[in-house]
Amino acid sequence: MIVRSGNRTEARAASLVALCLVGAWAIPRPAAAQSTSDWLHHAARQTSIAARDSGAMMRLVRPLSESVQRSVVQVFCGGRIASLGTVVAADGYVITKRSELSSDPITVRLPNGEKVAARIGAVRRSNDLALLKIEGDASKWGIEPVNLNGTDAATGGFLVSPGRNGYTVGFGVVGAAARRVDHDGRLGVRFYDTPTGPAMVRGVFPQSGAFDAGLQERDQILKINGNKMLGSHAAIMTLRELYPGEVVRLTIMRGEDMLELDAMMSDERLLQETKNDAKVNGPRNVRLSGFDSVIQHDTVLSPNQCGGPVLDSSGNLVGINIARAGRVVSYALPVSLVAAEVVSMLDESRQ
Amino acid sequence: MNRTQPQSIPADAPPRRLAPESLGLRWLGLRRFAFALVLVAAGMAGGQEPRENQFLQDRGPFSSQAGADVGDAFEIIETAEESRIEGLSEADRGRGRKSASGTRVAVPESLQRLLKRGGVPTSLQQLQELEQQQQRVARIASACTVSVRIGPAQGCGVIITDTGFIVTAAHVAMRPGKTAFVTLSNGRQVTATTLGMNRRVDAGLIRINPGQNAGEPWPHASLGSSEDLVPGMWCIALGHPGGYDSRRGSVIRVGRLLEVRPDVIKTDCALIGGDSGGPLFNIAGELIAVHSRIGNDVADNLHVPIDHYDYAWDRMAAGKSWGFLPNFKPTLGVTGNQSDEVARIIDVKEGSPAEQGGLLPEDVVEQFGEKMISDFNALKDAVADTMPGERVPIWVKRGATRVRVIVEIGRDG
Repeated sequence: MIVRSGNRTEARAASLVALCLVGAWAIPRPAAAQSTSDWLHHAARQTSIAARDSGAMMRLVRPLSESVQRSVVQVFCGGRIASLGTVVAADGYVITKRSELSSDPITVRLPNGEKVAARIGAVRRSNDLALLKIEGDASKWGIEPVNLNGTDAATGGFLVSPGRNGYTVGFGVVGAAARRVDHDGRLGVRFYDTPTGPAMVRGVFPQSGAFDAGLQERDQILKINGNKMLGSHAAIMTLRELYPGEVVRLTIMRGEDMLELDAMMSDERLLQETKNDAKVNGPRNVRLSGFDSVIQHDTVLSPNQCGGPVLDSSGNLVGINIARAGRVVSYALPVSLVAAEVVSMLDESRQ
Repeated sequence: MNRTQPQSIPADAPPRRLAPESLGLRWLGLRRFAFALVLVAAGMAGGQEPRENQFLQDRGPFSSQAGADVGDAFEIIETAEESRIEGLSEADRGRGRKSASGTRVAVPESLQRLLKRGGVPTSLQQLQELEQQQQRVARIASACTVSVRIGPAQGCGVIITDTGFIVTAAHVAMRPGKTAFVTLSNGRQVTATTLGMNRRVDAGLIRINPGQNAGEPWPHASLGSSEDLVPGMWCIALGHPGGYDSRRGSVIRVGRLLEVRPDVIKTDCALIGGDSGGPLFNIAGELIAVHSRIGNDVADNLHVPIDHYDYAWDRMAAGKSWGFLPNFKPTLGVTGNQSDEVARIIDVKEGSPAEQGGLLPEDVVEQFGEKMISDFNALKDAVADTMPGERVPIWVKRGATRVRVIVEIGRDG
């Protein structure tokens, strides 16, 4: 929630050149994930009969998707489709992609078509997972947890990403073995170098979270998420701890006024992007980096198709889709990592 | 999901004719700058909005038209009854080992239909056989897939002979005689020298400088042919999307051929900056094409058919460079007199790269990039050896002083 949205100032290219040399920067497109028009494009997208993702190919792998149809739900947040979710416990627990959820009410569309309210039971920031508890009597829904004793994905192997109701949202191939992917969360500001006093904003990068929140030049950062900040270095270091997609509350002094602003962190790499890079990459998740371990695959997913299971060509669970990160990259958390996180999240939520 | 641009593929496009993606295509090479330098470079260009299309090697705004000069008479040649891969030796059947005997992998009888004609597997079991096949190819093929860095620009290449010839995209090799740094799949770096290039189709050649492998053969790809390709065939792309990443290594993509033309092949193996020059294999492990450029849609990925390297091998190996992709002709925007004894500029075209760079009439061009310029013809040749978007320092004699300007090469016809 944005507490206060200030005027957007026109940032000039000249100042960018100077500003970028040092400092903590964020990125040009924060919540760029999905707009209505992206969805229309998605729906209208035609695949050639010669294509890998042709209708005939999707029909071929449909039995694999159907094998988990009682384990996949669709997650809505504030009325918008946020993600898919994977059932991990028969009493109504589902994991999904945390950063796609806001503070708005959450509902899930169950395999039987029913739409039921859910709440967040536990989150794991480091891998962007949220455990949802579906409210109500789970025995009536016909849901079934996935088998988390899955197998490792083999490089070069096919992957199937099932959606709700046995539908296949994507088909792809493991492009690189599981590895750690670091993040560069940035707010999108540059500070004057102030060793002791509050950090003062020297520049705001256009289209960054700082810009969208209305941060202005000469604003002084008093607190970050309620913690008093002294010195620009401390502010930069505190901000860098935050993952892209996370919202940071800034307490600032503007002239004589004290204000509170909420700004979304975004990944620095996107800042380097030209408009064209953004175009060829297509819609992506805001949180597209910062994972302990992810399998890289080339399945073409929409940003709101993460959170669902990923199967190998034998129907074994190999992971959970966690991000659409670019034209050639989708990421899935490996099943071994997910299984461990789920155990501790269930414990936490059931207490 | 990437958007299908309206200009991308008109529904009424005639079959087997590549759509006029003229507004949507980009090179796949990648220039990796320190973060600050990206914006500094943009600022130097005047801080203006990037134009619609861009060279991913930071050679500036750029666009292409894929093989637009190709005649319509092209017919796809059906696969010959005899498969080239029959009669494979046992030695070729190794799994995942680095092979100096090529990348060719035996194809089981059950996959012969998919190899020769493509199409959808008839069962999940056949899908799994295809999967095992592509995994075998990917394992062997990664050893000969290399990263190629020339200056700050980074692309890919694939070694095709045990003596270290590397095929790549022309725009990755840039121009003959340049030093390239090649990173092998195991992280080892060797030096190489660019040879010739056919810029009309974006085919380029590099050779690893001799004496760097203790007399051992380099792991190399087995050459296929682009003659027998048909839409629907399965293919395996390797490369370094986003640039070389030692923790990740090369990335495999699997897709199918969507369109096949003499000068360009389109697939749905998703490519992006840094992949340029990387290899496209068939499921028998034969090199069939080299990555070149992309459009906005994730299914617009264009490759140079491998036969072009065969047609022009002698010229390329001899270091000759020629041609330009339609709409990619490098231009400077000056006129001069060819019979003049020096490269004196008579006129500077309004709005041209030369004008924007600050060249003036009566300037005498003495040096263009690394090349000394003796007369106007030499200047013309030097410009032809650049690529649109490339920033070139030019030294001119202006009156009694020597002036250095930087011009960003434009593009034309």
